[in-house]
Amino acid sequence: MRVMVLVKADKESEAGALPDEKILTEMGQFNEELVKAGVMLAGEGLQPSSRGARVRFDGKKRTVIDGPFTEAKELIAGFWLWQVKSMEEAVEWLKRAPFDRTEVEIRQVFETEDFGPAMTPELREQEERLRVQSEQLSKAAKR
Amino acid sequence: MRFMLLMIPRGYESAAPGTLPDAEGLATMMKYNQSLQRAGVLLALDGLHPPSMGARVSFPGGKPKVTDGPFAEAKEVVGGYWLIQVKSKEEAIEWAKRCPGSDNEVIEVRQVQEFADFPPDVQEAAAGFSELQAQSGQRKGS
Repeated sequence: MRVMVLVKADKESEAGALPDEKILTEMGQFNEELVKAGVMLAGEGLQPSSRGARVRFDGKKRTVIDGPFTEAKELIAGFWLWQVKSMEEAVEWLKRAPFDRTEVEIRQVFETEDFGPAMTPELREQEERLRVQSEQLSKAAKR
Repeated sequence: MRFMLLMIPRGYESAAPGTLPDAEGLATMMKYNQSLQRAGVLLALDGLHPPSMGARVSFPGGKPKVTDGPFAEAKEVVGGYWLIQVKSKEEAIEWAKRCPGSDNEVIEVRQVQEFADFPPDVQEAAAGFSELQAQSGQRKGS
């Protein structure tokens, strides 16, 4: 199964503070363990919400709101995608992360079969094609 | 430039375990996903099961503390995401606007930090991360 690990923002990350060498080294070691164990699928940091935007949907109307989102209690600062056998395994990995005072949320990712009959054979095939093509583009994007 | 489009569906914070999108909603969203892929901007996408099937880990004083979902104090939760590659924030916002979202939904658009965004000394300390990213595989299948 796959999980998404959502790292919550704090005052520092929202202020655009950059990680120092110590935390980068510790996080680098943690990420390396995740890769070696075959758990790491993806991981990214996000720019603070002051450089972001929100789009609100109301019928056919779209409203664009510029960041920062100071009224939002919980913003995302970064994420991982992990492949694990269970939620318990995901929790055990996360407990080993070199965080201090941060809050991190773990969410199970929908796999194709989780959608049930709503995911028709045609949609299933389309989804597979989508994933293969987007993965190729993703590999090219990182270089 | 890469952007995360974070889908925030109002009410999802209290969704029961096993909550699923309906067939019509799914088909409509798949058309949108297809349009992202055809335009060559789609890098990745996923839906997330509700928080009632998740967990949170906090690190007070550096020690991990686990709490099972649902999370009573959460007002907004992520329901899914798209990772796209576009030329500008304006383009990312245009794609978000095209999503067939419903009245209770908000999409948050956030730029992904690239290695080159960091100053040289930070880049040096993080050296090896891009190799790590290259080694890790996206979606090894269910």
